Amino acid sequence: MSYESPIRDMLITGGKTYSDITKEITRPIENKPSKAWWIGFGLSSLVLALWLFSTTYTMLVGIGAWGLNKTVGWAFDITNFVFWVGIGHAGTLISAVLLLFRQKWRMSINRSAEAMTIFAVICAASFIVSHMGRPWVAYWPIPLPNAFGSLWVNFNSPLVWDVFAISTYFSVSLVFWYVGLIPDIATVRDRAVTKARKFWYGFFAMGWNGSTRVWHRYEVISLILAAISTPLVLSVHSIVSMDFATSLVPGWHTTIFPPYFVAGAIFSGFGMVLTLLIVAREVLNYKDYITTEHLDAMCRVVMLTGTLVGLAYITEFFVAAYSGVEYEQYAFINRATGPYWWSYWIMMGCNLLAPQVFWSRWARTTPWFIFIMSIIVNIGMWFERFVIIVTSLHRDFLPSSWTMYTPTIIEFGILLGSFGLFFFFFFLFMKFLPAINMAELKSIVKTKHGLELEKHYTDLLNNNHKMANNAHDTKGDSVHGH
Amino acid sequence: MGNINKYWKGLEELNNDPKFVANKKNEFAQGIPLEEVLTDSDGEMQSNRRDFLKYFGFSISAVALAACNNTPVKNAIPYIIKPENITPGIPNWYATTCGACSTGCSILVKTREGRPVKIEGNAESPVFKGGVCATGHASLLGLYDNERLRLPRKDNNESTWATVDTEITQALASSKNIRIVSGTNTSPSTKKIIAEFTAKYPSTKVVGYEAISYAALIEANKRAFGKAVVPSFNFEKAKVIVSFGADFLGTWISPVEFTKGWSKNRKAEDKKMSRHMHFESNLSITGSNADYRFPIKPSMEGAVLLSIYNKIATATGAPTFSIPTIEIALNSIDLTAKELLAAKGESLVISGSNNIDNQLLVASINSLLGNIGTTIDLDNYSNQVSGDDAAFEAFVTEMESGAIDTVLFYNTNPAYSYYNADKFKQALKKVKTTITTNSSTDETGELCKYQTPDNHYLESWNDSEPKLGYFGLTQPTITNVFTTRQVQESLLKWAGNNSDVYTYIKSNWEANILMAGETAWNKALHDGFFMSSPKVASTASAAALLSDIANKATVNYTTNLKNTELKLYTKVGLGDGTHANNPWLQELPDPISKACWDNYLTIGKVTADQFNLKQGDVVTLKAGKTTIEGLPILIQPGQANSTIGLAMGYGKLKGKVASNFGKGLGKNAFGLVSFENNTFSYNASNGITLTKTDDGYELPLTQTHQTIEGRNLLREASLNEYIKNPSAGNNEHAHIISLWEEHDSKGHKWGMAIDMNACTGCGSCVVSCSAENNVPVVGRKEILNSREMHWIRIDRYYSFKNLATGKPSTKEKEYDNKDNNIDFEHVTVMHQPMMCQHCGHAPCETVCPVLATVHSSEGLNQMAYNRCVGTRYCANNCPYKVRRFNWFKYRENDDFDFHFNNDLGRMVINPDVTVRSRGVMEKCSFCVQRIQASKLKAKIENRKMVDGDVKTACQQSCPADALIFGDMNDATSEISKLFKNERKYVLLEEYNVQPSVGYMTKIRNVDESIAGEQKAPVKHEEKHEEKHEVHSNEAHAHS
Repeated sequence: MSYESPIRDMLITGGKTYSDITKEITRPIENKPSKAWWIGFGLSSLVLALWLFSTTYTMLVGIGAWGLNKTVGWAFDITNFVFWVGIGHAGTLISAVLLLFRQKWRMSINRSAEAMTIFAVICAASFIVSHMGRPWVAYWPIPLPNAFGSLWVNFNSPLVWDVFAISTYFSVSLVFWYVGLIPDIATVRDRAVTKARKFWYGFFAMGWNGSTRVWHRYEVISLILAAISTPLVLSVHSIVSMDFATSLVPGWHTTIFPPYFVAGAIFSGFGMVLTLLIVAREVLNYKDYITTEHLDAMCRVVMLTGTLVGLAYITEFFVAAYSGVEYEQYAFINRATGPYWWSYWIMMGCNLLAPQVFWSRWARTTPWFIFIMSIIVNIGMWFERFVIIVTSLHRDFLPSSWTMYTPTIIEFGILLGSFGLFFFFFFLFMKFLPAINMAELKSIVKTKHGLELEKHYTDLLNNNHKMANNAHDTKGDSVHGH
Repeated sequence: MGNINKYWKGLEELNNDPKFVANKKNEFAQGIPLEEVLTDSDGEMQSNRRDFLKYFGFSISAVALAACNNTPVKNAIPYIIKPENITPGIPNWYATTCGACSTGCSILVKTREGRPVKIEGNAESPVFKGGVCATGHASLLGLYDNERLRLPRKDNNESTWATVDTEITQALASSKNIRIVSGTNTSPSTKKIIAEFTAKYPSTKVVGYEAISYAALIEANKRAFGKAVVPSFNFEKAKVIVSFGADFLGTWISPVEFTKGWSKNRKAEDKKMSRHMHFESNLSITGSNADYRFPIKPSMEGAVLLSIYNKIATATGAPTFSIPTIEIALNSIDLTAKELLAAKGESLVISGSNNIDNQLLVASINSLLGNIGTTIDLDNYSNQVSGDDAAFEAFVTEMESGAIDTVLFYNTNPAYSYYNADKFKQALKKVKTTITTNSSTDETGELCKYQTPDNHYLESWNDSEPKLGYFGLTQPTITNVFTTRQVQESLLKWAGNNSDVYTYIKSNWEANILMAGETAWNKALHDGFFMSSPKVASTASAAALLSDIANKATVNYTTNLKNTELKLYTKVGLGDGTHANNPWLQELPDPISKACWDNYLTIGKVTADQFNLKQGDVVTLKAGKTTIEGLPILIQPGQANSTIGLAMGYGKLKGKVASNFGKGLGKNAFGLVSFENNTFSYNASNGITLTKTDDGYELPLTQTHQTIEGRNLLREASLNEYIKNPSAGNNEHAHIISLWEEHDSKGHKWGMAIDMNACTGCGSCVVSCSAENNVPVVGRKEILNSREMHWIRIDRYYSFKNLATGKPSTKEKEYDNKDNNIDFEHVTVMHQPMMCQHCGHAPCETVCPVLATVHSSEGLNQMAYNRCVGTRYCANNCPYKVRRFNWFKYRENDDFDFHFNNDLGRMVINPDVTVRSRGVMEKCSFCVQRIQASKLKAKIENRKMVDGDVKTACQQSCPADALIFGDMNDATSEISKLFKNERKYVLLEEYNVQPSVGYMTKIRNVDESIAGEQKAPVKHEEKHEEKHEVHSNEAHAHS
């Protein structure tokens, strides 16, 4: 079922054998964690503690612990929410859309990208709850049959759509991720030497026996789930964008928002995947699995989507000018030149201008540089949401209510702390689950023999097309090696 | 007794069957089939694992749920014997007289279950006609001030009335010189009681002392007309009003009464309006409502008055005086004189100055114009304000000399408000017996030997005579909250008269005021006032010689030409600081600066630039010998150049709220008052220096952006334009295509019209709303965080004039630019009350995820507080930004230690309105509780509701009748008519949110064109009137 272009560079380097893959990818699970892991996990836990403190403080005291006011009702809270939801998108895109498009290069990164999706959505969901004035009734926007009388949710409200969108997204992503994990968990189970490991991995492997029947079902369910997930890539952030687009706040009320938000989400998601993978390939020594070619491909996506959001920024300006609505016009002039001008130009610089460096191949293949760029992308995308939310709200229709928003230390604590929450889960993931999909990876690995052949055919192809038929016959080896 | 069963259930019982006896011990004779229930059908297991888990789980959750319930036990004690006239849930109303200040407005007090919860104006009063000012509303909270004295005090320790009575009576008996230092006292009975007291202790003398003195006005009338009185001013009769710093709509003498009179003559529909011209240094609310406002320095007032006098004298053939040409913009003197001469006998010139010379000039001008007896009534004079500054000065000197044995302070606090407080305090030490009757320990009370706390006026019997022949009665609306005793009773007791005040007042009224018996008394008590037929106002002409004054005015003007001058003022609401401990008043934004919880130096932009100052800088102010450090700067548009303004009434040391819990709240400006020419002077012209410090200070402002940014949300026209075209300034209307289904509007549809022509911005509605709707006080810090909770606010916008283009400038980027020729001194002001607009297509309703804010069948936008989850989306989506979020728990929270944090203060809570919890959204409800109450009443009376049945709290309190509420589905209602008026417009019409609140264009009585400068396609209207009509109709259709 797979076709490999002999022209394309190898997706995995280092001449790995199946056994190498299994050993190297299960190494963090089977051995004691490295020092680097402990440092990372310890730091994440500390930052998580900050999140716990800040969130608990807010819940105890009230939303007044933040810098919001009568005019600016959302700021860091929803900025963080949209930011984290956006981060999640790359995971779904990589696992579902690239699966359907048969982009094999995704196989090295899809597992961690999907994990990232799940943890990012958890972070996002935490903001849905904590931004509420009365978080103890956070379940009310869910249409639950209840005994309170004829109370029901408002299906007109984009916040209710959000509830559906996010919960669907989370459950589908979780199932997709888990289904993909089953063969690898079974591998760990089979190699387990301790009782505990045998029990737990055995439990989660759900009786996987590697038979053709289970493999067949695995393949089918993967495709089905991919097909279900693919529209989610578009729908989730479209719906999140409707939180703004369906309102009448100048600067929010914009029909361009759904595609613009989706592009932004993929942009920031890939930014985050890059950040994580560049670290992971260093720390876990996965350079052969996550090659610079992977980074290159992701950088191209970053550049494309960055330019798309840049186009959206400019389009917004044009539409505001063209609309003739003075409130719209002011909102956009105020973004660029008002008291929060700096946030606008950070956004423009990070999202539109900075990714243009990826026109250069050096920039796309130099890990340390990409790492810096990925951070810049994420800063830019956080500011994009901040700009949209705060600069639109703080000066809307009646100038008498215009005011400034200044975040408090608690809000910074929650923002920073949410990264703790994210990385806490991510480090646990790296320790206890195979960070790369071994089973799928084995389908694209090339054995020594295969490599030689490949080289041979490539040479032939380059020199003489006559030999092409022959090459086709002998290529089968590399495919069915589970 | 034996075992005799007289009644038995069966033979077994009768026979004491052994089996029966054994079973009898079991509670359930039949036994409970528990086993069967818990047993599997096949009987193998008595209770299977699943059942066990079920019951186990249930029990655990039940226990956990039960344990969660930590609701504190609160005792509700029912009436054992129901008091007469009190029905739980039904309010009682009492007519009484407001005691917040000496103005003595007639009010109604709403009581619920025996406690006053709301103050409203008494619309039946022929003098006050139903308005209440912000201070009056807030004085209700004074009743529940936790810091009121609970017992009399001796040497700052709690004592008993018996002890202090004995000691004071002894001290009085042995005193040679007794003084009663009294604030303005308009009460005929109290005066009689003091006379009785004086008869018993003949050395007693009454010294009148007012922190804000009107001594000069009284003295000038004495010299000019031989009548030492404050006249009554008839604003409703005046076609031209010229005021020199008299803030008669805000703080001067009787603002509610004056606002009623003033606004009567400001109705555009009458096609004629009074022309109001205002000369002042600081921008006051009166100045902000004037048609023409001329900023002048305080030292110029005499010279300007004299120049106007000269013009009028020339025209009327009176002698004139030489005066140098005055540098004043806009040809104001000629214009004013011209207008005044055109309205002889129907004009009114007033001055707020406490300078005898200026007041004499004013009296002379009025006399020349023939206004005495028409707009100025010296015969039916006012008792509402007083002041005898020279007498008080003499009294302090007398105290210093040790000649005074006993002094009693009634309703005054000179240790705080006297300009030389240290001198006063030193002198007070020489007095043997010092008594104060103030109801909490204030700066004077602290120094007094005896504190004999007076009742709050809502607990007292009293009377008043604010105007000659108009008597007000004060009746208690609650029994004494603490062991206090009203002054009248104390004085009677000390004078050896043991009769109670009620009997005393009643007999006094029957004998001297009503000249009639019980029935008349009962009627007066029911009405709250009694009015005898007024005297016929006589005309008079001023007898004063002005040549001396002319010289002084000239000198004053020329010597101070280059000086920076200080003008002290009092703020609306807080006044002289008597109510500084009242959190409602502290949180009421100043109508002009929109600052609360602080005083500050107001300074014009030009002057600030000269001193290199900007908003938020902190300066040290030196005026003569007095230095005040740490004064924050507020850049005030409209402030006369080279002047600075500072509000009195701040910087209290006593009172938790007034002193910001001891941290200090503003600075005491009374030290800058001086005693000049026999009166207190509230301005200083010499030796003012400002020294900038390195400190910064953020002022708590509820509005931080000052202009409308050129948006078509404030609509105005000149009177001439209005007469030609009633929709002048209001001919841009949106062409609306709706995607929404319209709501059914059968039955009622509530709406409100706001007449921006009438609204003065006084802020009375803001406090009234807070009282009615239990709006929490959030304090200074939260105002800085832009989190005030007021359900109604009054937006105040400035419009500057660009001197280069002659066009108004309302955009920040224009007037912030230093190269521009913006005139910061001549500024036009617009006040726009803003509350929930109760939109037909409310943007807040569609976005709420849980339907916590929904549309009622009567057009109201309603909040279900206990459904709200607090996403704040509704507030974000509200284009008017009127929604208020409960950021914290504002009650029973030590971080918000205001009246919601103590049991006494919470007694002010209106039981008809929910107190909102933390984390929910709230907003104006159009006083839905009042609507419901009125509907119920109409239903009980088996009738339809009629227009005027429901009055919202803001509407009820408005002294200018600027807010009109009613049923838009009732074709005869006033609101229906107003909504058809050409002046009506709604804000943000093009968004089709269909607000239920309509605004009426502001009409200014100025000669210049206003509407023509807007985008309206109206031009050449004078020549082509016919054409213009067509033109504007077209605009209607197409725009």
